[in-house]
Amino acid sequence: MENLVEAILVGLLISDMTVLASSRVAGCIRVTAMQGLLLGVLTLLLQAEAMSLRVVLMAGIGMLLKGGVFPYLLARAGKEAGVQREVEPFVGYIGSVLLAVAMLVVAVWLGTRLPLQVHAGQTLVVPAAFMTMFTGLFLIVARRKALTQVVGFLVFENGIYAFGVATVGEVPALVELGVLLDAFVAVFVMGIAIYHINREFDHIDTDQLSSLKG
Amino acid sequence: MKTETLLWVMLLIPIAASLACAALPRPRAVLGVLCAGVFTATATGAVVIHDVLGTGPVSSATGWLYVDALSAFNLAVMFLIFCLSSAYSWVYFGGPANDVPLTPRQARVFGGLWCGALAAMTLVLVSGNLGIMWVGIEATTLLTAFLICVQRSRAALEATWKYILICSVGVAFAFMGTLLAAASAHQLQLSSHDTLLWTVLRDNAAGLDPVLMKAAFIFLLVGYGTKAGLAPMHTWLPDAYSQAPSPVSALFSGFIVNTALYCIMRYLPITEAATGGTGWCLSLLRLFGLVSIVVGAAFIAFQHDLKRFLAYCSVEHLGIIALGLGLGGLGTFAALFHTLNHSLCKTLSFFAAGRLGQVFGTHDMDKMRGAYRVAPAWGTAVFASILALIGVAPFALFMSEFLIVKAALERGAIAALVIFLAGACVAFVGSLGHALPLAWGNPDGETVREPVRATFLEACLVFLPLATLLCLGLWLPAPLETILCEAADVINGAAAPTLAHFSAGVAP
Amino acid sequence: MTSAPLVHLFLGLLLAPLLLGVINRTKAFFAGRRGPPVLQLYWDLAKLLRKGAVYSQTTTWVFQAGPVVGLAAVLAALALIPFGGAAAPLHFNGDLLLLAYVLGLMRFFTVVAALDTGSSFEGMGASREVQFAALAEPALLLALAAAARKAGSLSLSGILPAAVPLSPELALAAGALVIVFLCENSRVPFDDPNTHLELTMIHEVMVLDHSGPDLALILYSAALKLWVLGALIVGMLVPTVAGVPWVANTVIGLAGMLLLAVVVGVVESVTARVRLVRVPHLLAAAGALAALAFVLVLR
Repeated sequence: MENLVEAILVGLLISDMTVLASSRVAGCIRVTAMQGLLLGVLTLLLQAEAMSLRVVLMAGIGMLLKGGVFPYLLARAGKEAGVQREVEPFVGYIGSVLLAVAMLVVAVWLGTRLPLQVHAGQTLVVPAAFMTMFTGLFLIVARRKALTQVVGFLVFENGIYAFGVATVGEVPALVELGVLLDAFVAVFVMGIAIYHINREFDHIDTDQLSSLKG
Repeated sequence: MKTETLLWVMLLIPIAASLACAALPRPRAVLGVLCAGVFTATATGAVVIHDVLGTGPVSSATGWLYVDALSAFNLAVMFLIFCLSSAYSWVYFGGPANDVPLTPRQARVFGGLWCGALAAMTLVLVSGNLGIMWVGIEATTLLTAFLICVQRSRAALEATWKYILICSVGVAFAFMGTLLAAASAHQLQLSSHDTLLWTVLRDNAAGLDPVLMKAAFIFLLVGYGTKAGLAPMHTWLPDAYSQAPSPVSALFSGFIVNTALYCIMRYLPITEAATGGTGWCLSLLRLFGLVSIVVGAAFIAFQHDLKRFLAYCSVEHLGIIALGLGLGGLGTFAALFHTLNHSLCKTLSFFAAGRLGQVFGTHDMDKMRGAYRVAPAWGTAVFASILALIGVAPFALFMSEFLIVKAALERGAIAALVIFLAGACVAFVGSLGHALPLAWGNPDGETVREPVRATFLEACLVFLPLATLLCLGLWLPAPLETILCEAADVINGAAAPTLAHFSAGVAP
Repeated sequence: MTSAPLVHLFLGLLLAPLLLGVINRTKAFFAGRRGPPVLQLYWDLAKLLRKGAVYSQTTTWVFQAGPVVGLAAVLAALALIPFGGAAAPLHFNGDLLLLAYVLGLMRFFTVVAALDTGSSFEGMGASREVQFAALAEPALLLALAAAARKAGSLSLSGILPAAVPLSPELALAAGALVIVFLCENSRVPFDDPNTHLELTMIHEVMVLDHSGPDLALILYSAALKLWVLGALIVGMLVPTVAGVPWVANTVIGLAGMLLLAVVVGVVESVTARVRLVRVPHLLAAAGALAALAFVLVLR
């Protein structure tokens, strides 16, 4: 049981590294989908003692959205924009992976600093959540394509979700639903924006969106 | 009707109006329904605010909806700004000088999102649950994103993308902060229902884990601060303000940033009590405020685009508000007062900027000389509002800034005071350098423009805010003072000075 | 103290060339060929040892020392590696560092011997070898450090008997070691041992000028290196059984080695060699996995 939780969290960490090391946008999207599924299972495992219909339902909705709907929306946006690869990111892939190690160290350090209430044997949860958040933020600043930045946003949200599952546990269902709904609309809106940007500029390289400055 | 019911009505009217707008065929009809919806919601809101002032905080749905003096004050400012901006959007999009009228599709998008944004902001202000408050803020971000590029252009799309991405990430930070705040209550053994209720957290603030609450406040300040346009997280703001249609810019600077500040205000008393009243969170807020003042003032002088210039003014003034909040005590009162004044003044200046932009066909200040002669009403508006923004004496902004100076002196925060005054001086000089040629300069040689006459509605839109600003600068009505004091008491928490203290400080 | 360590040492010396035979047979099976006999490398070695060596006039003693020092180094490494749950013939605290360094010594002399020929072609191979080794070595050391920390011992003999059940950290470290194993032994996807004339090869290009007994030494050293690193991975992943004679565990270990050889053959059959510029990416990934494992055990 505890080993299973550990394994899932290690899976989450590896998925973070994969998404940092991958240049294929479609691959990155698949990794976020996998993260969504992992998080759903994690929710069920962490709250296995107080299993209720609410928990199952929330985990199910989360998995459906994060593991199915979001990746589908992103993949469609990518197909319409004709994006396959992130060519020449601001930070190269080796650099990204090396930075990932540094981020991991910081995440572990943060996890020891915050006096959070975590069950014994699940001390990896908080570092993994922070690591996932760092990964998302890093993708947003270190990649050019608008689509990869949205992937980064999703990874960031996944990290926060993991953090919430691990430390708070009991958030009112209405709030949780609202958060998921907002995430859904965010991905939807970003997808539409990417569609329009691609139509207007014939590319979705955000570093070329630089006419406004000063 | 009971006030509790009215809360729901106030939330539902904009939603209904939003759906109606999205279904209507003609732009004129959309704008009409939009105005009707906003005014009805305002009427409902007025009743709610009145009841709250009379009988104290109102809550509904077991505390999920909660309106006290602080939310009532912000509701009042919001409805004021929304009414003015909606009337102005009628002028802006429906007026004769409009070269590019809205297509029916654009009008539907505009109306639907405009009313939707009102609903989302109302949700932020009336929710007693900090999680729902976050949901409302994120909804505001997403609903207003496409308002920026209603009339699509490359620059507008660029601004939209920056706005969505930066603000979504920022607001996600705030969610992390919300979770940390919930986690900090682990010793209280709260039920799932009570976890994020503001009243519960406020009443039990002393039992919160101080370290976690500090971490939460940092995340919240950065997160909501991004949405509020506090430097250095303000980078989306000039782009969005300058590219959005003017009614939308007015709404952004008039109230959307205030909703985010409101969220920070909600957390102030909780954090302050949880950290043992050491003023830790206040000093953090002061720091962000000062940085914003300096950054805003520094960028003001170098602007060429009128709306960008106004955007940096917003950064500076948000810094002033944050500084006031960070000073506490009288400063909180002054900050709230400044919120009202700044919203009103900035809305007016964006109205003028938009209308003059339509007249001149550009927002480049070098080509907009002599606005006073070309369009007397709007020329007056832009000049007077810039004067008010830089804190010229009889206007209300002078009063609120003066109160902040006073609060800083009382607290002995001399360094903050010096930075604030230096920033204000730089902004003063820079703004005046823009405003004088803009209003009085000689128009470009060749094209001789006929003076543009303002309609009655336009005249009202110019002179009502100006008159209000003048009045408030000279005389603070008793009901407004009461609501400001009560709202400040909510922010300052239990350690609040009494109302009499404020009265003594306010009398000019 | 039983005779187990010495038997294991002897087994390594004897069976190392067999692994390459198994790998080649697996690849042949996947390609639908009959393939060379499993014992082919033994015949090759015997043939090469009977021949004379040719030395270019430009080379010095360094060129001749390369194969000899290489073999000596890898023999030392073999003596440090425990097998089948028993301790290694040589074991002391910190011997995992010595393992990394003797392997480094072997690489250094191969590289120096290659440079000694003065051929630009071999120089290119040497430069690549060093570049990739610089990335592979931290991964190897980090993975070993993680395992050492987890086991609470600084000696390979204290680390290696695998823990049951396998913890996620050790699985990560083993994953990193597998990548290092493939790189260090010049297997696909890093290098293609079958090509001799491609401009992209790494290890094979360095030993082109060696002939006769020298080449035999080099081929044998390579086989021993495969055995050493393979034994490391098998030791981490294959659990030993307690309460049975050591011979049983030795048999389990040997089965693990054969399985590893088959797996390598399968990997070579189903993957293509990555482009040279992508090789550092893979090694960085190995390093990241090892670092992940290390941070996890430190926690």
